Amino acid sequence: MSESTIIWVHGDNLNPHSAPFQTAPDAPAIFVWDDALLEEWRISLKRIVFIYECLLELPIIIRRGDVAEEVVQFAREHEARRILTSESPSPRHQFLCQTIIKHMPKGSRLEVLREPAFVDGAEKVDLKRFSRYWNAVKKQAMR
Amino acid sequence: MSRDMRRDFASREELVAYLQQEFPQAAQRSPHVSETRGGRRAAEARLRAARYGTEYERTRNHLDGQVSRLSPYIRYGVLGLNEVREYALSHAQRRFEAEKFVNELGWRDYFQRVYRELGDDIWEDVEDYKTGFPAHSYRQELPEDIRQGQTGVRFIDDAIRELIETGYLHNHQRMWLAAYVVHWRRVCWQAGARWFLEHLLDGDPASNNLSWQWVASTFSTKPYYYNLENVLQFSGDRYRGTPQNFGHEAFVGTYEQIARRLFPNITLSDEHHEPRKGRR
Ligand SMILES: Cc1cc2nc3c(=O)[nH]c(=O)nc-3n(C[C@H](O)[C@H](O)[C@H](O)COP(=O)(O)OP(=O)(O)OC[C@H]3O[C@@H](n4cnc5c(N)ncnc54)[C@H](O)[C@@H]3O)c2cc1C
Repeated sequence: MSESTIIWVHGDNLNPHSAPFQTAPDAPAIFVWDDALLEEWRISLKRIVFIYECLLELPIIIRRGDVAEEVVQFAREHEARRILTSESPSPRHQFLCQTIIKHMPKGSRLEVLREPAFVDGAEKVDLKRFSRYWNAVKKQAMR
Repeated sequence: MSRDMRRDFASREELVAYLQQEFPQAAQRSPHVSETRGGRRAAEARLRAARYGTEYERTRNHLDGQVSRLSPYIRYGVLGLNEVREYALSHAQRRFEAEKFVNELGWRDYFQRVYRELGDDIWEDVEDYKTGFPAHSYRQELPEDIRQGQTGVRFIDDAIRELIETGYLHNHQRMWLAAYVVHWRRVCWQAGARWFLEHLLDGDPASNNLSWQWVASTFSTKPYYYNLENVLQFSGDRYRGTPQNFGHEAFVGTYEQIARRLFPNITLSDEHHEPRKGRR
C-alpha cells in the first residue's frame, strides 16, 4: 500500500503540471497565505488578487496563517507522512521546510522536487556577469 | 480546526470584494486591482498572443512594442521557463529568430541562479557603487513624492501611476524609474526595490533586486543613466514638446553632460557615455 501523501504548493510554483502534481496527482494539496510575509512586505491587493486567481485553477485547499503550522496540521488531517513540494531559491522556503519536518511525526519525509533545468551544466559557470553565463549556455538554451 | 478560504466566486468582482475583506490592510494601502488576470488559462492565452521573432526583437525597447507581458505568469511558475522557450522557438518564423526572446528568459534563469548563491544577501550591495559616492551617502528611505507619483517629472510620474494601478511596467520604464531614484535622487537601491516588490505583479527578489543593483552599479561595472533623447526615442509621441512643460529639464543634455552632473567625483571614460546596448 502506498503511504499517504500531501502536496504543499507555494508561490514559486503555481503550475498545474508541476512535479509534485505529476508525482502524486491524487494527493490532497494545500496553499497557505503567509500572513507575516504579506505584512512585512506590504504586498498590495493587486498582487494578492493575481495570485488568488492562479490558486483557483489548482486542485487545492487554500488557508492562511503560519505556513509551517498549517502544513503540518493538514498532513495530520490526512494522516500523511510524506509531503511533496516544489524547489525554490528563496531562503524562507528552506527555513519553512526545516520547520515543517521538525514538527512532523518521526519517520516522515519532505521531498523537494525540481523542475527540469533551463540549461544543464551552468553550475560550473562563473555567475559574476550575465555575459559569461550566456556565452557558456547559449547553444544549449537555443536547442 | 483550520478554516478553508473560499473558492466559489460568481465573478471577479465577488472575488475582489472577498479579498478586500480578508486582507483589509493591503486594500487600505492601495486599493487597485490589475486588469491582468491570474491563472493558467490567462497565461496560455498570453503565450498564444505574444510575438517571439523579429517583431519582438525590433520593437521590444519601445513602450508600445511587442513585449510578451508573460512575466507575472513566469514569476509564479504558472508557466515553466522551458515550456515558454519551447513555445517561442517553435512559433517564431524560424527558430533562430527567437534568440533575443530566449536571451531574455536567460536573464531570468541567470538571476535565479545568482539568488540561489546569495540567499538573503540579495539585499546587500554585491559590489561597491561605482558612482563616486560611498554607500552611506544614499538616502535610506524612499521620499514621499516618489511614493505618491508627485515628483513633477512627467514621464516618471506616469510610470509611477502605472506601477501602482496596473502592477506592470515596461522594462525601459523600470530602468528609467530606478535610475531616477538612485542617481537623480540619490536614494539607496534597496528602498526602491522594496517599493517595487509591493506593487509589481511579477515582483521577485531575484530579478528585481539584481536589476536595481545593475542600475545602481553594485552589480555591474558602471551606473546606468540616460537622457531625455533616450526617453523620447522609446516613448512614442507622449512627451514631444518643450521639456519645461513636462518638468524634464534635469534630463536634457548629452550623456557626457548628464554624467558630469550626476557623478561629479569621477570621470567616466568615453565608452561610458554611450547608451548601454548590452541590455536595453
Ligand atoms: C529595476 C528593475 C526591476 C525589475 N523587476 C523585475 C521583477 O521583479 N520581476 C521580473 O520578472 N522582472 C523584473 N525586471 C525585468 C524586466 O523588466 C521584466 O521581466 C520585463 O519587463 C517583463 O515584461 P515582459 O514579460 O513583457 O518581458 P519580455 O520582454 O516579453 O520578456 C520575456 C520574459 O523574459 C523575462 N525577462 C525579460 N527581461 C528580463 C530581465 N531584464 N531580467 C529578468 N528577466 C527578464 C521575463 O520573465 C519576461 O516575462 C526588472 C527590471 C528592472 C530594470
